[in-house]
Amino acid sequence: MSGSRLAVELRGVGKRFGAVEAVKSLDLTVSRGSLVGLLGPNGAGKSTAIRMIMSLIRPDEGELSVLGGDALDMKDRIGYLPEERGLYRRMRVGEFLVYIGRLKGLPAAGLSERVARWLERIELRGVFKSRCQELSKGMQQKVQFIASVLHEPDLIVLDEPFSGLDPVNARVLLKIVKDLHSEGRTILFSTHQMAQAEQLCDRVVLINRGEKILDGATSAVLESHAPRAIEIEMEITGDNATPERLAQIQGVRGVRVAEDPRVRILDLADTADARKVMALALEATPCRRIEMARATLDDVFVRLVTDHGGHARAPARVPA
Amino acid sequence: MMENATRAITSASGSGVRLSRVLTIAWREFRHTVFTKGFIIGALAFPMVMFGVIGLMPFLLSDRPTPVHGTLVVADEDGSVAEAMESAFAMDRTDRATGGGPADAHTRGPFEEFDPDAADALAHLARVNITVKRVDIKDDLTAHRTQVQAGELLGLVEVPAALLSKASPEDLAITLLVPTDSPAKTTALIERVARDATVVARVERHGGDLAATRALLRRPEASTSRLSDEGDAAREDTKFRFILPGAFMMLMWIAAFTSANQLLTTTIEEKSSKVIEVLLSAASPLELLTGKILGQSAVSALMLSTYGVAGLFGLALAAMTDLVPLSTILLFLVWFVMGYLMVAAIMTAVGSAVSDLREAQSLVQPAMIVMMVPLILWLPITENPTGWLATIAGFIPPCGPFVMVLRTTGAVEPIPAWQVVAALGVNAAGTLLLVWAAARIFRVGVLMQGKPPSPRELIRWARAR
Repeated sequence: MSGSRLAVELRGVGKRFGAVEAVKSLDLTVSRGSLVGLLGPNGAGKSTAIRMIMSLIRPDEGELSVLGGDALDMKDRIGYLPEERGLYRRMRVGEFLVYIGRLKGLPAAGLSERVARWLERIELRGVFKSRCQELSKGMQQKVQFIASVLHEPDLIVLDEPFSGLDPVNARVLLKIVKDLHSEGRTILFSTHQMAQAEQLCDRVVLINRGEKILDGATSAVLESHAPRAIEIEMEITGDNATPERLAQIQGVRGVRVAEDPRVRILDLADTADARKVMALALEATPCRRIEMARATLDDVFVRLVTDHGGHARAPARVPA
Repeated sequence: MMENATRAITSASGSGVRLSRVLTIAWREFRHTVFTKGFIIGALAFPMVMFGVIGLMPFLLSDRPTPVHGTLVVADEDGSVAEAMESAFAMDRTDRATGGGPADAHTRGPFEEFDPDAADALAHLARVNITVKRVDIKDDLTAHRTQVQAGELLGLVEVPAALLSKASPEDLAITLLVPTDSPAKTTALIERVARDATVVARVERHGGDLAATRALLRRPEASTSRLSDEGDAAREDTKFRFILPGAFMMLMWIAAFTSANQLLTTTIEEKSSKVIEVLLSAASPLELLTGKILGQSAVSALMLSTYGVAGLFGLALAAMTDLVPLSTILLFLVWFVMGYLMVAAIMTAVGSAVSDLREAQSLVQPAMIVMMVPLILWLPITENPTGWLATIAGFIPPCGPFVMVLRTTGAVEPIPAWQVVAALGVNAAGTLLLVWAAARIFRVGVLMQGKPPSPRELIRWARAR
């Protein structure tokens, strides 16, 4: 196995809870130093996959390796932010983080200072002595985030790190995640917020109904799922090209009006040369902007999940 | 390498246990249990205050005699009852006048041997100053009753003539009328003295010899000693033979259950507050379980030593430390460790499998019924610690260690050594089995949500790979 290169490796991993197959024969690799997004709708099996990676639950089948071994033996090198947020409500913030730091193998000397630095970094000044229950939900989430990265792990696994955060706090966290990645740490995070995944990830893996339905570099995924279409933002003049004139261009299958009424979308025939069509469109009508239509991760997500039969699944008694 | 990693995951719930993690968890568990107002007041201060009050009670009572002053009217047939009562109260006054204390009153009382309790009551009432006024029972007592009502008299004692006859009817009673605010202790004293005086008067009227009767009726003390095989005689205190095993067992029961209950609630709290997943990302289930049990064992040991030292201090004050030899204490500690671990394992397993205390109750109940056995069988086992009931119960975990404490501390003849060794073995095996099963259930249960598992499901979790 290429253990030196891979931070996480799953081969044919499956997990069943009663009648529900939460994860089906999942293959997943995460290279060291990469930032991978694990995407999927609610109940897709993301959290189950992550819990198996963390050795919190055992796979029924398949092989699994984390940092070249068992996650149980690598706890000090892994940081984990679970989907379900939880703190000791009556414990003080500083005391809680020092406790987690000690469990993660950090020496007692200088630990309080380290915690204070992290609280400063995440913009939670002055809460060191506050009880956890006195903090807002977003603040508690940030405390828990610190708990997952305090020991500066090699691998950081974040389950829905941005859910429930306001845009300001989400941005603070986003910046820290980027910084940690630039420091060379491997980050695997699950989300169903596509915008953040698109902004952050080197690579995305999409799972639905426990199955992997997409795996690739973000740019390549967007490229491969880009529609064969051209977007034209029209000049507002009295001589605008009508959809009929644009539709007559050779290689154009049809013309649609986008959500923005100034924008027309020219769907291209499979054999059409996009450059030629763009040149002809420019001749046909004045425009402010003309470009190849781009796919968003959101489009890719919706299309693939819908094609894969949606995401509804029967509930089962499963780990939290 | 991949195969090795997979094997490691499927082999056990955390292959290695790191001691530093276990100790960190244990210290948090201990600190957050002991350094709380609830624990300090409930588990330590309250019992200590109780011990203190019970210990000081005799001193408090003996040092605070009730002052009694006033006139008591005694109405009887011929004045003999009044005379006997006057003599009793006058004796007390004489003692005080001559510098004698209550102790002298006790030893020289008129019916001291006939009714030591009356002498005791008089002895404790050091400031009794009662004047007895004699009247005939046939007189009109209305005026005296009015005086009693007005609080001018201590009371009016009416002794029917028939009570002084040889065949006094059993349902006939002395009547004592006292003011509404008369202290209960004074009333009880007058009642007792009147009854005794009536007996004295009756005996004297019918020519009996009171001193001889006293001597005949005196019950001798009984001193029991047990002869060992070597022929040594050891004195036995029957009162302590029953109390001591119960005290040991209750001490162990309270210490074990307070901590085990804490384990139940903290596990449920960690699970319901979702902090459990954070903890499991930092420590293995086995480390978490071990740390929690270890931390609470320290809490339990703290309670045990607090109560135990207080108890031993009490025995030392009463010069009875020979009732608890060192070997008994050491064996008790062994039973305690086993008993605690078994109860702790059960409670932690249940705590990990449920989402709230209400759900926990239905799972804990069967175990609690078993655990109540030593309490229910306390007297039968202490009565006959070598009998079949005690012998069998000592071999049944998880109540075995508690029963064995009753047996070993209550046995008047040594329990056969093979039984102690066998019970140690069986209960040690039971402890290991329960802790192992608890670790298995804990590993699965802490991450489960939803309806609580059935006992069958728990067994399945315990047997799961």
